[in-house]
Amino acid sequence: MTRTVEDMSSFGSSVTHACAVAVSDEHLWELSSSFIEDGITAGDHVLYFDDGTSDRVLERLLDDGLDLGGLRDAGQLEVVPAEATRAALRSPIDMFCQLLTATVDSALEGGFSGVRWTGRFNYGPTPGNGHTQREYEAALDSTIRGRPARVLCLYDRAHFPDDVIEAMRTAHRVEIGTTTIYDDNLLRVTATAQGSARLAGEVDYSNRAQVRKLLASELDTALRSPAAPREIRLDVSSLRFVDVAGAVGFVHSAEEFPSSHRLVLDGVRPRVARVLDRCGAPFAAQLITHAHGERHAAALPVEVRV
Amino acid sequence: MKIESTRLAQAVTLRHRCGFYSAQRHLISQVDPIMAAALARDTTVALAVDPQTAETVIDTFGGSEQLVRLSEPGPGCHSGQTLAARRARELRELVRDRGPVVMIGQHRSELDGADGSFWTELDAAFGVALADVPVELTCFYPELPLHQAVLDGARQTHPELLVGGVPVTNAEHQCPRTVLAEYPAPNPDLLGAPDLQIECGAWQLNEMRHTVEQALIGVGYGRSRAEDIVLAVNEVATNAVEYGSQDARVHLWLDGDGTTEGAVCEVHDHGTLHDPLPGLAAPHSSDPRGRGVWIARQICESLHVWSDSSGTHVRLHAGRPV
Repeated sequence: MTRTVEDMSSFGSSVTHACAVAVSDEHLWELSSSFIEDGITAGDHVLYFDDGTSDRVLERLLDDGLDLGGLRDAGQLEVVPAEATRAALRSPIDMFCQLLTATVDSALEGGFSGVRWTGRFNYGPTPGNGHTQREYEAALDSTIRGRPARVLCLYDRAHFPDDVIEAMRTAHRVEIGTTTIYDDNLLRVTATAQGSARLAGEVDYSNRAQVRKLLASELDTALRSPAAPREIRLDVSSLRFVDVAGAVGFVHSAEEFPSSHRLVLDGVRPRVARVLDRCGAPFAAQLITHAHGERHAAALPVEVRV
Repeated sequence: MKIESTRLAQAVTLRHRCGFYSAQRHLISQVDPIMAAALARDTTVALAVDPQTAETVIDTFGGSEQLVRLSEPGPGCHSGQTLAARRARELRELVRDRGPVVMIGQHRSELDGADGSFWTELDAAFGVALADVPVELTCFYPELPLHQAVLDGARQTHPELLVGGVPVTNAEHQCPRTVLAEYPAPNPDLLGAPDLQIECGAWQLNEMRHTVEQALIGVGYGRSRAEDIVLAVNEVATNAVEYGSQDARVHLWLDGDGTTEGAVCEVHDHGTLHDPLPGLAAPHSSDPRGRGVWIARQICESLHVWSDSSGTHVRLHAGRPV
């Protein structure tokens, strides 16, 4: 099967069904939340098929500023429990297709513009149900063809062996690719724009040198390009831990910037903010921190459909 | 464990001297002139003396606002370096609000421990923790304590001696770290089997943090407090795997140490302790390293570092906030 690599925005145009292979947990949550957010923006009814990690996906959506309470009230985002996901994917293929069709019909009747499904669909190709993963994927393609439905099948290298992942990739016509600056399964760094990046995960002894390298590289780029912004911005809303040396690294990096440039940390969580405060961040003139706000404290759980 | 930053960030402003007394009356006769001189120049006096001495002094000088009693050591106080860190916090606060302070300390036999080395550790730690604090500290010791080590240590840890009410240079004085090389910090009492034992290398610190945090929250610690304690444990464990040995052992007791409530955590490694008093001096803002243990001391009620032939050991005690 011919396979193309697209980015997430392709779901807004031609792509209806694709897979993505996550290299880390942070990557998995990034892919899930990105797909969900696009669906929310488009007015779709979004279903996330849980496999026990929905808490982290919802946390990531909160990091991105989504109003989970409002989405819950509007019924736009649903987390389908793992048991229900497993039951659907282990049902005979014709029942599986009927279920998909009914879900799309129900969403349209509910006033949504379409449907989005995502999750790790790793329950289908089990011995004994009589169908291969490729048959499920083909049935899904034919069922949603011409209908306002988008499906992102997620696979991650932490839970699937390489040969299974390759089989999944060949079963899909489209694979969603992402650009990663650094990912060690504890910290994930992605470029978000020129002079800005996003840090997700934890910074400690094992990876703090990478953060210093990133800051040095971003500053070097900014200084060499007249068009580059004078603020190096790091979105740290998904940064859950930073150790003392890591926090000192942010402070000292900012202090080493030329006076024309500043380091801006956006979305600093309270836990990270306390470490930064203890390491002198309030006294570093070229380090600007913007608090994460109270989104997590006020978060409401999204209703799950059983 | 290795602490890279042992240099002093600022000039030494501590004046640290020692006086000896034969009886309570002799003690008071030496304390009174110091008190009178300090109060006459409107200087705050901080008292870290036993209750009998404190009452006598207050009877003599009245309830002056310039007279402050520092916190009692408490029943769980077995670590001289921890008490020095606490005194440094109290005195920095006083100095910030009131300017230079005169402090009077007194030996208390209930803190001697097994051999009296608590006092050597305390005075050596004062020399580091208070070095940049404008304090005139006079420590009074009995001429005949139960443990000779109390006097031996006192004669080496104080730059000045009080003789006939006059401070004179102490020829026997040595720098705090040299003294502690001769009189190492004592081992704390054993605590029995821990509730949790974790082996971790540099690449498993995150798993250790997660386990400790879940355990603390599980026994009722608030999220912020648990997160701060995890930061403290992480800093000590990071030192252990970075400088000590490839793997650190983290032991956690969730129900106190038998004397005080709250979680107790120990971190052990097989490395050599290069600085016997880590994390006592406030690091200079330009130092890239050496801040982790100092912050851990601010977070915990107690942080005691000791070493023996098996390596370096740190015990942290972190109660719930009142």
